[in-house]
Amino acid sequence: MWNRTISGQRLTFHLAGINNQNFLMRDEETGTYWQQISGAAISGPLKGSQLTLVLSDELTFAAWKSEAPSGTVLDDVPQFANGYAHKDWDVRMKRAPTVLDFPEHSLTSRDLMLGVQAFGASRAFLYERVLQEKLVKDRMGPEPVLLVVGPDNESIRVFRGRIRGVEGAPDFYRVTEPSAEALFMDAATGSGWNFQGCAVSGKSKGACLEQLPALKDYWFDWRNYNPSTTVYGREP
Amino acid sequence: MLAVLAVSLFSVAYPIYVIRPFRHQGAGELAAALVVSRFRADITALVAIAALVACVSYWRLQPGKWWRALATAGAIFAAIFAVLARVNVYELMFHPDARPSFSAARDSHLDGDEKVIAIRVAGEARAYPIRDISYHHVINDVVGGQAVVATY
Repeated sequence: MWNRTISGQRLTFHLAGINNQNFLMRDEETGTYWQQISGAAISGPLKGSQLTLVLSDELTFAAWKSEAPSGTVLDDVPQFANGYAHKDWDVRMKRAPTVLDFPEHSLTSRDLMLGVQAFGASRAFLYERVLQEKLVKDRMGPEPVLLVVGPDNESIRVFRGRIRGVEGAPDFYRVTEPSAEALFMDAATGSGWNFQGCAVSGKSKGACLEQLPALKDYWFDWRNYNPSTTVYGREP
Repeated sequence: MLAVLAVSLFSVAYPIYVIRPFRHQGAGELAAALVVSRFRADITALVAIAALVACVSYWRLQPGKWWRALATAGAIFAAIFAVLARVNVYELMFHPDARPSFSAARDSHLDGDEKVIAIRVAGEARAYPIRDISYHHVINDVVGGQAVVATY
Protein backbone atom coordinates (compact mmCIF):
# COMPACT_ATOMS: atom_id res chain seq x y z
CA MET A 1 0.00 0.00 0.00
CA TRP A 2 1.63 3.19 -1.16
CA ASN A 3 1.01 6.90 -0.98
CA ARG A 4 0.76 7.83 -4.66
CA THR A 5 1.56 11.49 -4.27
CA ILE A 6 5.24 12.23 -4.72
CA SER A 7 6.80 15.69 -4.66
CA GLY A 8 3.31 17.16 -4.80
CA GLN A 9 2.34 15.20 -7.92
CA ARG A 10 -0.48 12.66 -7.74
CA LEU A 11 0.29 9.57 -9.82
CA THR A 12 -2.11 7.08 -11.39
CA PHE A 13 -0.72 3.57 -11.63
CA HIS A 14 -1.26 0.69 -14.02
CA LEU A 15 -0.09 -2.91 -14.02
CA ALA A 16 2.84 -2.88 -16.41
CA GLY A 17 4.82 -6.08 -16.23
CA ILE A 18 6.62 -8.44 -13.95
CA ASN A 19 10.13 -8.69 -12.54
CA ASN A 20 11.00 -12.12 -11.16
CA GLN A 21 7.39 -12.67 -10.13
CA ASN A 22 6.93 -9.34 -8.43
CA PHE A 23 4.93 -7.00 -10.58
CA LEU A 24 5.85 -3.68 -12.09
CA MET A 25 3.65 -0.60 -12.19
CA ARG A 26 3.77 2.37 -14.51
CA ASP A 27 2.33 5.78 -13.79
CA GLU A 28 0.32 7.64 -16.43
CA GLU A 29 1.73 11.04 -15.60
CA THR A 30 5.45 10.43 -16.22
CA GLY A 31 5.67 6.93 -17.72
CA THR A 32 8.00 5.82 -14.92
CA TYR A 33 8.19 2.14 -13.98
CA TRP A 34 7.94 1.20 -10.30
CA GLN A 35 8.60 -2.06 -8.44
CA GLN A 36 5.48 -3.13 -6.54
CA ILE A 37 7.14 -4.64 -3.47
CA SER A 38 9.62 -1.88 -2.82
CA GLY A 39 7.81 1.20 -4.16
CA ALA A 40 11.03 2.19 -5.92
CA ALA A 41 11.09 3.85 -9.34
CA ILE A 42 13.41 1.72 -11.49
CA SER A 43 13.12 3.25 -14.96
CA GLY A 44 11.93 6.54 -16.36
CA PRO A 45 11.87 10.22 -15.44
CA LEU A 46 11.39 9.54 -11.72
CA LYS A 47 13.99 6.78 -11.47
CA GLY A 48 15.47 6.73 -7.99
CA SER A 49 12.31 8.08 -6.36
CA GLN A 50 10.63 6.17 -3.57
CA LEU A 51 6.94 5.93 -2.75
CA THR A 52 5.97 6.28 0.90
CA LEU A 53 4.52 3.21 2.54
CA VAL A 54 1.02 3.43 4.00
CA LEU A 55 0.54 1.20 7.04
CA SER A 56 -1.83 -1.63 6.23
CA ASP A 57 -2.98 -4.93 7.70
CA GLU A 58 -3.91 -8.24 6.17
CA LEU A 59 -6.91 -9.35 8.23
CA THR A 60 -9.92 -11.55 7.93
CA PHE A 61 -12.98 -9.57 6.91
CA ALA A 62 -14.65 -10.45 10.22
CA ALA A 63 -11.71 -9.11 12.24
CA TRP A 64 -11.58 -5.92 10.20
CA LYS A 65 -15.33 -5.36 10.37
CA SER A 66 -15.33 -5.74 14.15
CA GLU A 67 -12.72 -2.97 14.36
CA ALA A 68 -14.15 -0.75 11.63
CA PRO A 69 -17.93 -1.30 11.47
CA SER A 70 -18.40 1.96 9.57
CA GLY A 71 -15.62 1.26 7.07
CA THR A 72 -16.08 0.65 3.36
CA VAL A 73 -15.13 -2.31 1.20
CA LEU A 74 -14.07 -2.48 -2.44
CA ASP A 75 -16.84 -3.85 -4.61
CA ASP A 76 -16.37 -6.72 -7.05
CA VAL A 77 -16.42 -5.81 -10.73
CA PRO A 78 -19.06 -8.30 -11.91
CA GLN A 79 -17.70 -8.74 -15.44
CA PHE A 80 -14.33 -9.91 -14.05
CA ALA A 81 -15.57 -11.78 -10.98
CA ASN A 82 -15.03 -15.15 -12.67
CA GLY A 83 -11.32 -14.38 -12.66
CA TYR A 84 -11.16 -13.55 -8.98
CA ALA A 85 -9.19 -15.77 -6.62
CA HIS A 86 -10.80 -18.58 -4.72
CA LYS A 87 -10.41 -18.67 -0.96
CA ASP A 88 -7.76 -21.36 -1.26
CA TRP A 89 -5.72 -19.39 -3.81
CA ASP A 90 -2.65 -19.45 -1.56
CA VAL A 91 -2.77 -23.24 -1.44
CA ARG A 92 -2.93 -23.33 -5.23
CA MET A 93 -0.15 -20.76 -5.58
CA LYS A 94 2.09 -22.87 -3.38
CA ARG A 95 2.32 -25.33 -6.28
CA ALA A 96 3.29 -22.66 -8.84
CA PRO A 97 6.94 -22.67 -9.95
CA THR A 98 9.32 -19.87 -9.06
CA VAL A 99 12.14 -18.40 -11.12
CA LEU A 100 14.29 -17.64 -8.10
CA ASP A 101 15.34 -19.94 -5.29
CA PHE A 102 17.11 -19.22 -2.05
CA PRO A 103 17.50 -22.58 -0.29
CA GLU A 104 18.61 -21.07 2.99
CA HIS A 105 17.46 -21.62 6.56
CA SER A 106 15.77 -24.85 5.44
CA LEU A 107 13.08 -22.76 3.77
CA THR A 108 11.42 -23.49 0.44
CA SER A 109 10.67 -20.83 -2.13
CA ARG A 110 6.95 -20.68 -1.37
CA ASP A 111 7.12 -20.84 2.41
CA LEU A 112 4.82 -18.05 3.59
CA MET A 113 6.63 -15.50 5.72
CA LEU A 114 5.82 -12.30 7.54
CA GLY A 115 8.57 -9.85 6.68
CA VAL A 116 9.43 -6.81 8.78
CA GLN A 117 11.89 -4.02 8.03
CA ALA A 118 12.48 -1.85 11.07
CA PHE A 119 15.21 -0.25 13.16
CA GLY A 120 17.87 -0.94 10.59
CA ALA A 121 17.12 -4.65 10.38
CA SER A 122 15.25 -6.98 8.09
CA ARG A 123 13.64 -10.11 9.54
CA ALA A 124 11.29 -12.79 8.34
CA PHE A 125 8.97 -14.91 10.46
CA LEU A 126 7.47 -18.17 9.25
CA TYR A 127 3.76 -17.34 9.19
CA GLU A 128 2.58 -20.69 10.47
CA ARG A 129 4.99 -20.58 13.37
CA VAL A 130 3.72 -17.18 14.48
CA LEU A 131 0.12 -18.46 14.32
CA GLN A 132 1.10 -21.39 16.52
CA GLU A 133 2.99 -19.29 19.07
CA LYS A 134 0.24 -16.63 19.25
CA LEU A 135 2.67 -14.07 20.73
CA VAL A 136 6.24 -13.79 19.47
CA LYS A 137 8.72 -11.67 21.37
CA ASP A 138 11.81 -10.81 19.35
CA ARG A 139 14.31 -8.08 18.67
CA MET A 140 15.11 -6.11 15.54
CA GLY A 141 18.24 -4.05 15.79
CA PRO A 142 18.20 -2.47 19.24
CA GLU A 143 14.42 -2.63 19.63
CA PRO A 144 12.05 -5.25 21.06
CA VAL A 145 9.20 -6.27 18.77
CA LEU A 146 6.01 -8.22 19.34
CA LEU A 147 4.08 -10.27 16.83
CA VAL A 148 0.51 -10.72 17.98
CA VAL A 149 -2.02 -13.14 16.53
CA GLY A 150 -5.57 -11.80 16.47
CA PRO A 151 -8.70 -13.31 17.99
CA ASP A 152 -9.47 -14.90 14.60
CA ASN A 153 -6.25 -16.94 14.86
CA GLU A 154 -5.34 -15.90 11.32
CA SER A 155 -4.39 -12.22 11.40
CA ILE A 156 -1.07 -10.95 12.72
CA ARG A 157 0.12 -7.50 13.71
CA VAL A 158 3.61 -6.36 14.63
CA PHE A 159 4.36 -3.80 17.35
CA ARG A 160 7.35 -2.16 18.87
CA GLY A 161 7.59 -3.59 22.37
CA ARG A 162 8.00 -0.34 24.27
CA ILE A 163 5.46 1.45 26.45
CA ARG A 164 5.66 5.21 26.70
CA GLY A 165 6.79 6.25 30.14
CA VAL A 166 8.19 2.82 30.96
CA GLU A 167 11.94 2.42 31.13
CA GLY A 168 13.46 -0.41 29.10
CA ALA A 169 11.64 -3.19 27.31
CA PRO A 170 8.78 -4.61 29.38
CA ASP A 171 7.93 -8.27 29.24
CA PHE A 172 4.69 -9.19 27.48
CA TYR A 173 2.80 -12.42 27.78
CA ARG A 174 -0.29 -13.96 26.30
CA VAL A 175 -3.25 -14.15 28.69
CA THR A 176 -4.44 -17.65 29.43
CA GLU A 177 -7.98 -16.96 28.32
CA PRO A 178 -7.83 -14.11 25.87
CA SER A 179 -10.95 -12.07 25.51
CA ALA A 180 -12.02 -9.90 22.62
CA GLU A 181 -10.62 -7.00 24.60
CA ALA A 182 -7.32 -8.18 26.03
CA LEU A 183 -5.11 -10.67 24.21
CA PHE A 184 -1.88 -10.07 26.10
CA MET A 185 -0.53 -8.26 29.13
CA ASP A 186 2.66 -6.57 30.16
CA ALA A 187 4.55 -7.22 33.39
CA ALA A 188 5.63 -3.60 33.90
CA THR A 189 2.24 -1.91 34.21
CA GLY A 190 -0.09 -4.90 34.51
CA SER A 191 -2.11 -3.64 31.57
CA GLY A 192 -4.22 -5.71 29.20
CA TRP A 193 -3.65 -5.03 25.49
CA ASN A 194 -5.94 -5.69 22.55
CA PHE A 195 -5.20 -6.70 18.96
CA GLN A 196 -4.89 -3.05 17.98
CA GLY A 197 -2.00 -2.77 20.40
CA CYS A 198 -3.91 -0.51 22.77
CA ALA A 199 -4.18 -0.97 26.52
CA VAL A 200 -7.77 -1.60 27.59
CA SER A 201 -7.05 -2.04 31.28
CA GLY A 202 -4.38 -1.32 33.85
CA LYS A 203 -2.01 1.60 34.37
CA SER A 204 -1.41 2.05 30.64
CA LYS A 205 -5.07 2.11 29.71
CA GLY A 206 -5.59 4.28 26.65
CA ALA A 207 -1.99 4.06 25.46
CA CYS A 208 -1.12 2.27 22.26
CA LEU A 209 1.98 0.48 21.10
CA GLU A 210 3.62 1.61 17.87
CA GLN A 211 2.48 -0.65 15.05
CA LEU A 212 5.16 -1.64 12.53
CA PRO A 213 4.59 -2.36 8.84
CA ALA A 214 4.77 -6.04 7.95
CA LEU A 215 4.50 -7.86 4.66
CA LYS A 216 3.08 -11.31 4.12
CA ASP A 217 5.14 -12.71 1.30
CA TYR A 218 6.71 -15.86 -0.09
CA TRP A 219 10.24 -16.56 1.09
CA PHE A 220 11.82 -16.25 -2.37
CA ASP A 221 10.33 -12.81 -2.97
CA TRP A 222 11.10 -11.46 0.51
CA ARG A 223 14.64 -12.76 0.34
CA ASN A 224 15.18 -11.35 -3.18
CA TYR A 225 14.46 -7.81 -1.98
CA ASN A 226 15.95 -8.26 1.48
CA PRO A 227 19.24 -10.05 0.90
CA SER A 228 20.48 -9.41 4.43
CA THR A 229 17.32 -10.68 6.10
CA THR A 230 17.51 -12.94 9.12
CA VAL A 231 14.88 -15.51 9.96
CA TYR A 232 13.25 -15.94 13.36
CA GLY A 233 14.04 -19.29 14.87
CA ARG A 234 16.56 -20.14 12.16
CA GLU A 235 19.63 -18.51 13.61
CA PRO A 236 22.92 -20.09 12.41
CA MET B 1 11.56 -0.31 -45.41
CA LEU B 2 12.63 -3.70 -44.04
CA ALA B 3 15.09 -2.13 -41.64
CA VAL B 4 12.56 0.22 -40.10
CA LEU B 5 9.99 -2.57 -39.87
CA ALA B 6 12.55 -4.66 -37.99
CA VAL B 7 13.08 -1.80 -35.56
CA SER B 8 9.35 -1.53 -35.06
CA LEU B 9 8.91 -5.27 -34.53
CA PHE B 10 11.80 -5.31 -32.06
CA SER B 11 10.27 -2.42 -30.13
CA VAL B 12 7.04 -4.31 -29.71
CA ALA B 13 8.36 -7.82 -29.19
CA TYR B 14 11.46 -7.38 -27.05
CA PRO B 15 9.76 -6.05 -23.90
CA ILE B 16 7.06 -8.72 -24.17
CA TYR B 17 9.74 -11.41 -24.54
CA VAL B 18 11.77 -10.24 -21.54
CA ILE B 19 8.98 -9.20 -19.19
CA ARG B 20 6.80 -12.25 -19.05
CA PRO B 21 5.61 -14.39 -16.14
CA PHE B 22 7.55 -17.45 -14.98
CA ARG B 23 10.72 -16.23 -16.65
CA HIS B 24 13.78 -14.98 -14.80
CA GLN B 25 14.57 -11.34 -15.59
CA GLY B 26 18.21 -10.32 -15.38
CA ALA B 27 18.88 -6.76 -14.22
CA GLY B 28 20.49 -5.65 -17.46
CA GLU B 29 17.91 -7.06 -19.83
CA LEU B 30 15.08 -5.73 -17.69
CA ALA B 31 16.57 -2.24 -17.76
CA ALA B 32 16.93 -2.44 -21.55
CA ALA B 33 13.41 -3.80 -22.02
CA LEU B 34 11.94 -1.00 -19.91
CA VAL B 35 13.78 1.66 -21.92
CA VAL B 36 12.49 0.16 -25.16
CA SER B 37 9.02 -0.03 -23.67
CA ARG B 38 9.07 3.61 -22.64
CA PHE B 39 9.91 4.81 -26.13
CA ARG B 40 8.27 2.23 -28.36
CA ALA B 41 5.05 4.21 -28.86
CA ASP B 42 7.06 7.07 -30.34
CA ILE B 43 9.44 4.81 -32.24
CA THR B 44 6.70 2.80 -33.88
CA ALA B 45 4.72 5.94 -34.71
CA LEU B 46 7.74 7.40 -36.51
CA VAL B 47 8.29 4.10 -38.32
CA ALA B 48 4.65 4.04 -39.39
CA ILE B 49 4.96 7.54 -40.83
CA ALA B 50 8.21 6.62 -42.56
CA ALA B 51 6.66 3.46 -43.95
CA LEU B 52 3.69 5.40 -45.28
CA VAL B 53 5.99 7.92 -46.98
CA ALA B 54 8.04 5.06 -48.40
CA CYS B 55 4.87 3.35 -49.60
CA VAL B 56 3.71 6.47 -51.40
CA SER B 57 7.16 6.82 -52.99
CA TYR B 58 7.11 3.21 -54.16
CA TRP B 59 3.70 3.69 -55.74
CA ARG B 60 5.04 6.66 -57.69
CA LEU B 61 8.37 5.18 -58.70
CA GLN B 62 7.61 1.48 -59.06
CA PRO B 63 4.84 0.62 -61.51
CA GLY B 64 5.21 -3.12 -60.84
CA LYS B 65 2.27 -4.51 -58.84
CA TRP B 66 4.42 -6.74 -56.62
CA TRP B 67 6.57 -3.84 -55.47
CA ARG B 68 3.47 -1.84 -54.77
CA ALA B 69 1.92 -4.75 -52.85
CA LEU B 70 5.05 -5.21 -50.78
CA ALA B 71 5.24 -1.52 -50.02
CA THR B 72 1.59 -1.49 -49.01
CA ALA B 73 2.05 -4.55 -46.80
CA GLY B 74 5.02 -2.88 -45.15
CA ALA B 75 3.01 0.22 -44.37
CA ILE B 76 0.16 -1.88 -42.97
CA PHE B 77 2.50 -3.86 -40.73
CA ALA B 78 4.11 -0.66 -39.52
CA ALA B 79 0.68 0.69 -38.61
CA ILE B 80 -0.19 -2.55 -36.81
CA PHE B 81 3.04 -2.39 -34.78
CA ALA B 82 2.28 1.22 -33.90
CA VAL B 83 -1.10 0.16 -32.52
CA LEU B 84 0.31 -2.87 -30.70
CA ALA B 85 2.95 -0.67 -29.07
CA ARG B 86 0.15 1.12 -27.25
CA VAL B 87 -1.52 -2.04 -25.98
CA ASN B 88 -0.85 -2.94 -22.38
CA VAL B 89 -0.87 -6.74 -22.61
CA TYR B 90 -0.73 -7.08 -18.82
CA GLU B 91 -3.99 -5.21 -18.46
CA LEU B 92 -5.50 -7.49 -21.07
CA MET B 93 -4.62 -10.43 -18.80
CA PHE B 94 -5.67 -8.67 -15.58
CA HIS B 95 -8.23 -6.01 -16.32
CA PRO B 96 -7.92 -2.86 -14.25
CA ASP B 97 -10.61 -1.61 -11.92
CA ALA B 98 -10.46 1.89 -13.31
CA ARG B 99 -13.41 3.30 -11.35
CA PRO B 100 -13.46 1.41 -8.05
CA SER B 101 -16.64 1.58 -6.06
CA PHE B 102 -17.14 0.79 -2.40
CA SER B 103 -19.90 -0.42 -0.13
CA ALA B 104 -20.46 -0.07 3.57
CA ALA B 105 -19.00 -2.93 5.59
CA ARG B 106 -22.42 -3.78 6.99
CA ASP B 107 -23.78 -4.22 3.44
CA SER B 108 -20.96 -6.44 2.22
CA HIS B 109 -21.64 -10.09 1.43
CA LEU B 110 -18.06 -11.16 2.00
CA ASP B 111 -17.62 -14.22 4.17
CA GLY B 112 -16.00 -13.53 7.50
CA ASP B 113 -12.95 -15.60 6.66
CA GLU B 114 -12.21 -13.79 3.40
CA LYS B 115 -8.90 -11.97 3.64
CA VAL B 116 -8.67 -8.23 3.13
CA ILE B 117 -5.94 -5.61 3.02
CA ALA B 118 -7.08 -2.87 5.36
CA ILE B 119 -5.97 0.70 5.93
CA ARG B 120 -7.12 3.61 8.04
CA VAL B 121 -6.22 7.14 7.01
CA ALA B 122 -7.45 10.22 8.84
CA GLY B 123 -10.12 8.14 10.51
CA GLU B 124 -11.46 6.61 7.30
CA ALA B 125 -11.28 2.80 7.17
CA ARG B 126 -11.09 0.94 3.87
CA ALA B 127 -10.72 -2.73 3.02
CA TYR B 128 -9.69 -4.35 -0.26
CA PRO B 129 -10.62 -8.04 -0.55
CA ILE B 130 -7.60 -10.04 -1.61
CA ARG B 131 -9.68 -12.04 -4.05
CA ASP B 132 -10.26 -8.78 -5.95
CA ILE B 133 -6.89 -7.11 -5.75
CA SER B 134 -4.99 -10.29 -6.51
CA TYR B 135 -6.71 -10.07 -9.89
CA HIS B 136 -6.68 -6.33 -10.60
CA HIS B 137 -3.29 -5.93 -8.85
CA VAL B 138 -3.56 -2.12 -8.74
CA ILE B 139 -6.33 0.02 -7.25
CA ASN B 140 -5.89 3.79 -7.37
CA ASP B 141 -7.90 5.25 -4.52
CA VAL B 142 -8.31 8.21 -2.18
CA VAL B 143 -8.78 7.43 1.50
CA GLY B 144 -9.10 10.06 4.20
CA GLY B 145 -8.07 12.67 1.64
CA GLN B 146 -4.85 10.84 0.82
CA ALA B 147 -4.21 9.41 -2.63
CA VAL B 148 -3.12 5.79 -2.21
CA VAL B 149 -2.52 2.81 -4.45
CA ALA B 150 -3.46 -0.63 -3.17
CA THR B 151 -1.26 -3.27 -4.74
CA TYR B 152 -1.11 -7.02 -4.48
